Amino acid sequence: MRDWADAVRAHLHSAALDPRSEEAVVTELTQHMEDRFRELSVSGLPDDECRRRVLAELEDSDRNWGARLRRRADQIAPPPPGARIPGASLFATLTFDVRGAVRSLRAVPAFSLTVIGILALALAGNAAIFSIVNGLVLRSLPFAESDRLVELDETAPQWNLRYVGVSVPDFAAWREGNGTFDRMAFFTSASYNLAVKGAQARRVSGVQVTHEMLDVLGLRPLLGRNFAPEDDRPGSGGVVMLTDDLWRHSFGGDPSVLGRVVKLDERPYTVIGVLPAAAVFPDRADIWTPLAADLSKPSGYYLNGVGRLARGVSIELAQSDLLRVHKEQIAVGRTVNRITSPVVIGLRDRYLGDLKAVSRVLAGAVALVLVIACVNIAALMMLRGLARMPEMTIRTVLGASPHRIAAQLLTESVVLAVAAAACGVPLGLAALRAIVARLPEDVPRWVSFSLDSRFVIFCISVTAAAMLMSSVAPIMQTLRTDLRGALQGVTTRTTATRAQRRIFGGFVICEIGLAIVLIAGAGLLLVAWHSVVSIDPGFRPEHVMTFSVALPDETYGTPEKRIAYYDELLSRLRSLPGLQAVGATSAPPLGGRWGGQFEAEGVPVDRKGGDDPVVLRIAATQGYFDAIGATLLAGRMFESRDEWPSAPKVVIVNETLSKHFWGTSTPIGRRIRYPGSHDWFQVIGLLRDEKHDGLDRDAPPTVFLPYATASRHADSGDLRSLHLMTVVLRSATDPSLLVGPARDIVGQLDPDLPMYDVQSMTDKVDRSLWVRRLYSALFGVFATVAVVLAATGVYGTVSFAVSQRTTEIGIRLAIGARPAQVLTRTLLDGMTLVSIGVAVGVVGALWATTLLSSLLYRVSAGDPVIYAAAAVGMLVVGLLANLVPSCRAASVDPIRTLHHP
Amino acid sequence: MPSTRADDELKKGSAEFLILSLLEGRARHGYEIAKLIELRSQGALRFHVASLYPLLYRLEDRGLIAGRWVEKAGQRRRRFYRLTADGRQVLTDRREGWERFVRAVRRVTRIEYA
Repeated sequence: MRDWADAVRAHLHSAALDPRSEEAVVTELTQHMEDRFRELSVSGLPDDECRRRVLAELEDSDRNWGARLRRRADQIAPPPPGARIPGASLFATLTFDVRGAVRSLRAVPAFSLTVIGILALALAGNAAIFSIVNGLVLRSLPFAESDRLVELDETAPQWNLRYVGVSVPDFAAWREGNGTFDRMAFFTSASYNLAVKGAQARRVSGVQVTHEMLDVLGLRPLLGRNFAPEDDRPGSGGVVMLTDDLWRHSFGGDPSVLGRVVKLDERPYTVIGVLPAAAVFPDRADIWTPLAADLSKPSGYYLNGVGRLARGVSIELAQSDLLRVHKEQIAVGRTVNRITSPVVIGLRDRYLGDLKAVSRVLAGAVALVLVIACVNIAALMMLRGLARMPEMTIRTVLGASPHRIAAQLLTESVVLAVAAAACGVPLGLAALRAIVARLPEDVPRWVSFSLDSRFVIFCISVTAAAMLMSSVAPIMQTLRTDLRGALQGVTTRTTATRAQRRIFGGFVICEIGLAIVLIAGAGLLLVAWHSVVSIDPGFRPEHVMTFSVALPDETYGTPEKRIAYYDELLSRLRSLPGLQAVGATSAPPLGGRWGGQFEAEGVPVDRKGGDDPVVLRIAATQGYFDAIGATLLAGRMFESRDEWPSAPKVVIVNETLSKHFWGTSTPIGRRIRYPGSHDWFQVIGLLRDEKHDGLDRDAPPTVFLPYATASRHADSGDLRSLHLMTVVLRSATDPSLLVGPARDIVGQLDPDLPMYDVQSMTDKVDRSLWVRRLYSALFGVFATVAVVLAATGVYGTVSFAVSQRTTEIGIRLAIGARPAQVLTRTLLDGMTLVSIGVAVGVVGALWATTLLSSLLYRVSAGDPVIYAAAAVGMLVVGLLANLVPSCRAASVDPIRTLHHP
Repeated sequence: MPSTRADDELKKGSAEFLILSLLEGRARHGYEIAKLIELRSQGALRFHVASLYPLLYRLEDRGLIAGRWVEKAGQRRRRFYRLTADGRQVLTDRREGWERFVRAVRRVTRIEYA
């Protein structure tokens, strides 16, 4: 550096500049010489020779150039040392880099927009799916220390039931005997006709809770008081708490509501409190009333429980503690506890179990899409990197350090990623809104999909991860480039090295492989979807409308009154124009349960210790089977004579039940009864299985009883299920036209009875399939995007390889290769990569799709046809993507290529 | 590449034009300008310290370009030159003149070949 300065000063002598200006000129010129020295040195010359040349260049042709500097001496003085120089701070460097990045990206709009588009799509998908996972799986419930809240239930594998519910004696024993819970509460859902003075009666849903409920949740009443233990005893006076929502909407948020009397199913209840808005559990309740169960009496398994674990107690410990209490009851006579056992499970897991699995699978799928997108972007960036090799070389020669160049490339990636996130996140939120708007009704209301800090963190990290994934390879490529070689070839064409070609090959294999995983998954789900929708549900949902009417005990206390009401209602409805059939049932398909056990005459009972399954009992009026479109396989339907009080007791059974008791022989004429009862029911009809619990579930064994018979012989537990009947109308035309006239008829018959839950059967079927439709469709979308990205990747890579080898191909053609040979060779090269990708993908898919098995229906996760189809499909797509550049290779004009290499 | 007398003449006549053109898009420092001229002319045109800086200073003196010291973190201080409004105007004029000249030469030479 020093000898440069002296040499420059020697030339400036004649210019006679003032000292500061001279210093500035010396600085500028010596710097130039230093740059030049480095350039020469990098190109491989020995240092002495470099120095000699640099000094020689100072002489040039005109030895007196220094003298010409005289005129503008004052203009080039540098700022005094220590003065703030624009551009000196880190922030300024950053702005400089960002500006540079934006400028260089704007110069290649096609590249930039492609990268931003691909990344934005992938980020949008990830943002939307993450919000769903966040709402369903990650976000804590809106209660204090909600990780200590657990669901309490009983299980009975011998009855073929995963969850049976909790009986009153069991809950009493658990509550008394446990040593692992702070508190536990039990509840059952109920619905009422709510009558408030001066307003029309309406149907409200509620829960009957034990008095500990609010304390278990860790909440306090918004107004008034909580239930006291005295309110929760059998026969105590009617008190009710209103939810915040009902209080605000039906009582105008009036604090004087406390002490008011409202009528629930015609019984008076006093409002003692208003629940806080946070009381979103139990789900879908407008009012709370005390359970007031008689602890001394046996009961059915109709309760749900929720407990707050004592601090430091694990779920396993709590479960073994309850099991101990539960089994101790066997000694005091509750022998049924041999079959049942308590279940303790995290609150969220119980209610969202299936959705959690679905959301995890979707998150995995959309992450794969993101990886494919990143691989694509990395390939694009590497191609751009090759094209920019001259620019990078010049920069390096000009003194840019490797870390400066890496910083610049990274800045470009950041700019691209930020632009992609700016488009992708809003797009993802729009998609999320679309998905949430169509969420099935059974997603609990306490699940919220609102945005939170976790979402923001996710978006930032996934964007950063995508940015890193897609820019590491290109940056490494640039930094590893042999500068000297690049400098020598700087003005000629840029070519990919063997190593770079291998990386591109790896990208293609990766993309194809990941795409195969998604295609196979989508194929499996699509086949499952097709199996589900094309299955015979055992009823015909088209042209069917349903609505419910519940008869309160106060006014319809006796079976005869209820039977008379439905008789009259159905006979009036029969007069509706366009009506084909009408009937009522306690449990229409896809809704309602009422279980019990039966034993069959002549079939040994208790074969393996009471392992007879719990049978679905359905009460139905005559006309119901025609209205719902059930298929009678043998025997006859119910007729009016079956409803007479003196009529012989008859039932209709479904295929599953018939098979269970009598195998393949006919059930008609056989008899069944409740265990231990003396009343036999004769089987008069056999129905095709109805998919009662959902189209993708097996039909449960089912017994249909005439409504009149069921009503007359019901115990108090049964009555809960017979309270509420669903009327089913089959129309010759659009069934929704029947709703208005039907509502008039219900109103004329009893103005106090609201008609509610009005829906068409096709809607109900649609909604029951909503989750499956959603994830199948999303998977399909992801797979399509993956295929398009993979095809683009193959096309781009092969095109690039061909453009690299134009000269080589030209020479081959010139020395006698035929275009067909060139075509075959290029195709083979490309298809080798595609085939490896397909093979890797199929292996990966075989493993990955096992995660889908819980979502499949009538198709195995290893279905060979689907894998073969996915492989062949991907090979065809790969072939097409290869064909265009290969044809281009075959049509290379050797003369032109050799003239202009 | 040995420079001939004709090359030198052409170089002197067009040097200012070349520099103004290179500064049209963005500010550059002296070495960058020299290097770009060499690269873009594929080595046919070369400027060294002795030929370049007197030119730069003259252009600055005439107000066609303006130099400014810029210091970036971790790098040496460099003097960047940018085009002024006057410089831009001169560049436009030169460019038009040059194109006219090239067209004219082409017309003449083509006639001779024909």
